[in-house]
Amino acid sequence: MTRSRLLSTVGVIVVAIGCGSGKPQSASAQARSPEHAEVGAPTQLALLSESPQPASGHSAATIQGVVRLSGTAPQRALVKMSADPVCQQQHAEPFYSEETVVDEQGGLKNVFVYVKQGLTGAFPAPAEPVALDQSGCWYRPHVFGVQADQPLGIINSDATLHNVNAKPTLNQPFNIAQPVKGMKTTKKFAKPEVMVKFKCNVHPWMSAYAGVVDHPFFGVTDEHGAVTISGLPAGTYVLEAWHEKYGTQTQTVTVADGETKPIEWTFSTQ
Amino acid sequence: MRPWSSRSPFHPAVLTHCVAVTLVLWVWGSPSLVAAERPAPDLGAGKDAYRQHCARCHGATGRGDGVDAKRFYPRPRDLALGVYKFRSTASGTPPTDENLFQTISQGLPGSNMPDWQHLDEGVRWQIVAYLRSLSPVFEKVQPAPVQLADDPGPARADHAKGKALYETLGCAACHGSAGRANGPSAGGLVDDWGMPIRPANLTQGWSYRGGHDPRSVMLRVLTGIDGAGMPSYAEALSPEEAWHLAYYVTSLQEPVHWNLVARAVRVDDSLPSAVDDPRWAEADRTDLQLDNVVNATGEWASPPTVNAASLEAVYNDEAIAFRFTWDDPTQDLHAPHDGFALLLKPVGSEGDVVTLQAWPSAGAPPLDVCYWSAERGTAWEAVATDFDSVTTPSVSTPPFLQSASGYQDGRWRMVVQRALHPNHPRGAAVVTTEAFTSIAVAVWDGGNPGSRAVSSWIDIALREP
Repeated sequence: MTRSRLLSTVGVIVVAIGCGSGKPQSASAQARSPEHAEVGAPTQLALLSESPQPASGHSAATIQGVVRLSGTAPQRALVKMSADPVCQQQHAEPFYSEETVVDEQGGLKNVFVYVKQGLTGAFPAPAEPVALDQSGCWYRPHVFGVQADQPLGIINSDATLHNVNAKPTLNQPFNIAQPVKGMKTTKKFAKPEVMVKFKCNVHPWMSAYAGVVDHPFFGVTDEHGAVTISGLPAGTYVLEAWHEKYGTQTQTVTVADGETKPIEWTFSTQ
Repeated sequence: MRPWSSRSPFHPAVLTHCVAVTLVLWVWGSPSLVAAERPAPDLGAGKDAYRQHCARCHGATGRGDGVDAKRFYPRPRDLALGVYKFRSTASGTPPTDENLFQTISQGLPGSNMPDWQHLDEGVRWQIVAYLRSLSPVFEKVQPAPVQLADDPGPARADHAKGKALYETLGCAACHGSAGRANGPSAGGLVDDWGMPIRPANLTQGWSYRGGHDPRSVMLRVLTGIDGAGMPSYAEALSPEEAWHLAYYVTSLQEPVHWNLVARAVRVDDSLPSAVDDPRWAEADRTDLQLDNVVNATGEWASPPTVNAASLEAVYNDEAIAFRFTWDDPTQDLHAPHDGFALLLKPVGSEGDVVTLQAWPSAGAPPLDVCYWSAERGTAWEAVATDFDSVTTPSVSTPPFLQSASGYQDGRWRMVVQRALHPNHPRGAAVVTTEAFTSIAVAVWDGGNPGSRAVSSWIDIALREP
């Protein structure tokens, strides 16, 4: 209980890669959003990866991505939780879907960005778990990345039954019950798969998506649509951006040692 | 047991057989016990048997798209996905061969999957072999049997512990606090194929697809029902606790009496008019299984929510009173509202309406319909050739019937009384001691709009004291 509470509070979301110098270069670009600040919201935290790193510290490249949505963004749907009083009581304010979240500049949140092609070598999975918290009858984070074979700690911070129904097609699916507050289960996905959907049958409004990749070069856009992928060896890569409603886009990018490269994606509502 | 008796497991002939079985095991890579009758897998034979017996529902290639598939709830399994509901293995892992053999042999009660015990065991095993070939999951993932504890038996099962587990584990979220499939999440469930589904009504043991004995229930708790919403609780309770919960769940099952003749008890004085009149306890109970009427295209609109109704009947010199009880997950008093109809065959029409699934239809004879509306809280009687003219009565007021009703925790109880020989409506059915009268029921759940569940015909007989 203590451990899981600690985890749900600290909220280790996405383990970012470290650079050759052994310092964490960046964390996931996920950040706290206002509606998440209420209950058990995960705080982003970069962790040192023990894995051997592909690039030397001073020469690794950084991708600074921004994902935007053009056109009129749909209204965020009000999530009705009246079916379960335990859920309802945790939200004094109206709670809105995280499917399409854009800021005033069109920055699109919850886009999973990762290197799809171009990497060579193996990147052993970190031992530190990625945390997926069920808090306020919502998955936190809604979109996240995890390395293949990296532990995924799934926590129930709610005093109600959740079931975690993971529906991968390449990996082994599972559907487990977490009936008691504080319960934690650790799972792993053996193979890369973008994306793996999670859902809760008890609370059909709950869903989450995990991008499972076999390297540490990924991130999820924050509420401004920003994402940083760092520690990337010089080279030419195919980057893919994935959004649950607007699909995927790829770009081919060449980066040099020490370069910080801005990349933009624009999804359209049309 | 005498040593080397023919029944001893150490008999040389048995040992030789064990070697053969072990070889089969090794070839199959299956870790569990295999029946001695199990033949070497022959995919050709399995495919032939599948085509003959299974393809009508599960489809020629196993995609669950056979000619009858859309008429079924639940839908036939898409065998190519390799997702199987009834297993003894961890969530997400395939079933053992024995699990598949058992499902084929025993069928899935409450669904359209019949048992296939009339097929030779060898043929069933060949079908198992063929099913395995339909999905790559059997090659990629080994079945992982869940850890089991010894059966404590009914005497040592802890009822209080089982009840406490039912509450703390959140079973009521879907199955309801009394097990009547009326939990707050019951209405929103969707299976992995996007089809709306309903949780099991735990009071109806006969409808548990995977078996209603404590061991089967215990396995469902630990393994979950893959593809449906039911998760695995293997990490939420111990194997010992799973038994206590299973025994508690089986204690929720209510005894059923599938009588073909319902007997009404005679009383000398007035008939019981309240749903909780103690005299109902002296009447025989008869249970009726209900099936949803399929729509014009023969497809399910939504999963059935009312699966059964029971009745008791009491009569005196003038009238007969029925008490009907049925589980409906939602109490719907406004349109679309709940409703119930007792149908009687008027004299002379016996045999004409073979099944209510086919009524009303063009040219079908009229039936005597005693209809109760949850919206009005009243019942009335009409002789009609369709439901609509009864459920939405016209200006001509039908004869109202004395009725009472109550809804509590997912269960309706309704009492309705009618004359044995009604003067109105014209052509009404007569109930006498001289003959049986055919009756059937139809149920509308306003929370499941467009659905109508109907029973088969049974007879009502007036029992002399």
